[in-house]
Amino acid sequence: MSEIVRAAALLGAGLCMGMGALGPGLGEGFTAGKACEGIARSPENAGLITRTMLVGQAVSESTGIYSLVISLLLIFAV
Amino acid sequence: MFDTFSLVHVAAYIGAGLAVGISSIGAGIGEGYIAGNANIAMMKQPKSNDILLRTMLIAQAITETGAIFALVIAMLLLFGGSIVTDAGWQRIASLFGAGLVMGAGSLGTGLGIGYAGGQACQGIGRQPRESKVLTANMLIGQALSETSAIFALVIAMLLLYSTPDGNSIVKSFAFIGAAFAMGFGTFGPGFGIGIVAGKAVDGISRFPKQSSVLVRTMFVGAAVAESTSIYSLVVAFLLIFVA
Repeated sequence: MSEIVRAAALLGAGLCMGMGALGPGLGEGFTAGKACEGIARSPENAGLITRTMLVGQAVSESTGIYSLVISLLLIFAV
Repeated sequence: MFDTFSLVHVAAYIGAGLAVGISSIGAGIGEGYIAGNANIAMMKQPKSNDILLRTMLIAQAITETGAIFALVIAMLLLFGGSIVTDAGWQRIASLFGAGLVMGAGSLGTGLGIGYAGGQACQGIGRQPRESKVLTANMLIGQALSETSAIFALVIAMLLLYSTPDGNSIVKSFAFIGAAFAMGFGTFGPGFGIGIVAGKAVDGISRFPKQSSVLVRTMFVGAAVAESTSIYSLVVAFLLIFVA
């Protein structure tokens, strides 16, 4: 394989993880922020809100994990 | 005209500009948000103006750290990084990457820390008696948000000083890739953790009795948001040392 293909794969790995981490990080932070707001207003539902927060964050995390997988593939498999 | 020796300087100077330029956006907006909220809070509680001024200055100093990291990297790029006699493409890529990673890396944390600080000022305006708890919680949240900028600083330092010299085009692109991964990867976690900290401070100011459960939720949420920043760090390390 030519050098430039490998070079492009490595640059792509970096771009993929960088942009891919942007959304989940921001979204998960927003989720946790709103959960704090919700617990402040109705503390008796803290357990329920924390559970929903973690489920929502897990879904939001999925795209970050896709990015991680793709960048690892670009580094090691391409 | 385009010999590698000139291009090393070109890369170092562009990197220095990117570092200070991009990082100043976050720090500037964040500090402005803190000051604006402090002014509104002072309008509501003119008697607590000394506490508000102190909190505003502490929060602004912490917001400034990302820009100061970038300033240090820019100074190293201008006066320390490009002094190499026989440089190759890898050095060009790593100098440009060091500037990019530090600039983009402190943008998100600047915005996030600024948001947390602004919410703390607003909270003190609402509950001046809880100012100590609010300031302490603000500082914890801001420290969590700052970790992303510190990751970016680590990668920038590695790119400046620990990268092997040579002319491999693959390695050069890997360095730029590492800079993109860590630089953009810190934006989300940095800003996101700032939002968590800000909302937690806001909640404590409204319901001070719930502070323990709010701090716990803040820690859990911030840890989850931090995970993508750690993925980025891992990918950047792999690109620098393994690829």
